[in-house]
Amino acid sequence: MAKSYDVIVIGGGPAGYVAAIRAAQLGMTTAVVDEFVYKDGEPSLGGTCLNVGCIPSKALLDSSEQYHKVSHQLAAHGIKTGSVELDVATMIARKDKVVKDLTGGIAQLFKANKIDWLQGHGKLLEGKQVEVTPTAGKKKPQTYSAENVIIATGSKPIDIDAAPLDGDRIVNSDGALEFTEVPKRLGIIGAGVIGLEMGSVWSRLGSKVVLLEAQDDFLPAVDGRVAKAALKEFEKQGLDIRFGARVTNAKVGKNVTVHYEDKDGKQSMQLDKLIVSVGRRPNTADLFTEDSELLLDERGYINVDENCRTNLPGVFAVGDVVRGPMLAHKGSEEGVMVAELIAGKPGHVNYDTIPWVIYTHPEIAWAGKTEQQLKSAGVPFRSGTFNFGATGRARAMEETAGMVKIIAHAETDRILGVHIVGPQASELIAEAVVAMEFHGSSEDLARIIHAHPTLSEAVHEAALSVSKRAIHKAN
Amino acid sequence: KPPELSPAVRRLVEEHGLDAAAIEGSGPGGRITKEDVLQHLDGQEQS
Repeated sequence: MAKSYDVIVIGGGPAGYVAAIRAAQLGMTTAVVDEFVYKDGEPSLGGTCLNVGCIPSKALLDSSEQYHKVSHQLAAHGIKTGSVELDVATMIARKDKVVKDLTGGIAQLFKANKIDWLQGHGKLLEGKQVEVTPTAGKKKPQTYSAENVIIATGSKPIDIDAAPLDGDRIVNSDGALEFTEVPKRLGIIGAGVIGLEMGSVWSRLGSKVVLLEAQDDFLPAVDGRVAKAALKEFEKQGLDIRFGARVTNAKVGKNVTVHYEDKDGKQSMQLDKLIVSVGRRPNTADLFTEDSELLLDERGYINVDENCRTNLPGVFAVGDVVRGPMLAHKGSEEGVMVAELIAGKPGHVNYDTIPWVIYTHPEIAWAGKTEQQLKSAGVPFRSGTFNFGATGRARAMEETAGMVKIIAHAETDRILGVHIVGPQASELIAEAVVAMEFHGSSEDLARIIHAHPTLSEAVHEAALSVSKRAIHKAN
Repeated sequence: KPPELSPAVRRLVEEHGLDAAAIEGSGPGGRITKEDVLQHLDGQEQS
């Protein structure tokens, strides 16, 4: 007789592992099925985010930023460093250690919470049965039964026929974290979040980076003025972003030859490496049998309601495999909500206040609506901006690029969107999220005391600027 | 117990000499938002 659980979670990424820990905290017997194997051959919890996503990319972004700072920015502070050496192998090894420590930490948390880690591929059968095919050895599949199943199988990079991966010269985001030397000429297909972050890493380390973006707009989900300011900075840094550039063919020979078309016709270029980062798709490969009768939507995501319930009673789905932004914290919050609902408690996710961050330099972060969204929805608004260059702290830091923009409803003054490009935007956005969660007005932010000198004063002044009473600028 | 007021709501309540307890809050946990006070003031003008 196979073991039975209150909750079986399929997938140990940010949505799945958080759901499991919360379920265990609420007293439910819980197991997590996970098939991820790290590059060293060891099974590893944490999913895309910890193994090949958020965490390793941030580790490399930080290391490359330190290198860039020492090489190019310290001179302005009167610090002469002489020649600076780069050791890519050590940089990658440090990144690997950060990943190992954190994924090992999740395994420890599972032990502490008495969660069973079933290493293998999970498949939903009919009647809330889950078949687990072990990752290692030739062990036979085992079937477990559950009162509740939470599917959290995440997403995979989208491949394109025009540029098939060869695992060495043409890679996806996973491979872009593993280069053993700095490519002289690096091409990136897609100027979205992942393309920009990977481009930033290797550009700071010395690559000549070209990003080929099929769309004409830069970061269409970002507020137009903020996107424009960010683009200016990236171009200043040497990122060569080409818009309306559709890749038709990429071939590996001595180099990578990329053919693409833009408004001027057919173009081609030679590269040492090519990263394909055109987007991610929900991962439902071999996830369920037909007689389980799980429904997908027309785009291949698992069909769920606002509480992440699928069409099957007792079966939930969370994270990248369902609708909504593909962000780790979105998946985690859905995991918490579902665990609490299963335990008979109220649970909900506020999709209106999810913060977004792009970890370039300067960083881009936002929450709520953009000016273009509000215009097309016909919502009357007022906005206020403030440049970091006008704050003492940013000046002292020699980090003057960027701005804060706050958009509030024209009549009620409720904050509708906060958009930041600049130093530590990823941290500064948290204040905006709290204010929005409490239905705050721009006047609330304007009347709250902000420490001086700090970068957060740019948020304060932007809030004041909504009603044209910023102190440190001509309104 | 008097309701907890956000900075903008505190300003409006003082400026217009309102009784915060008489304003219905639509925010999380029944908190009074600036919007609620503005609506309350609109209602007072019309009556």
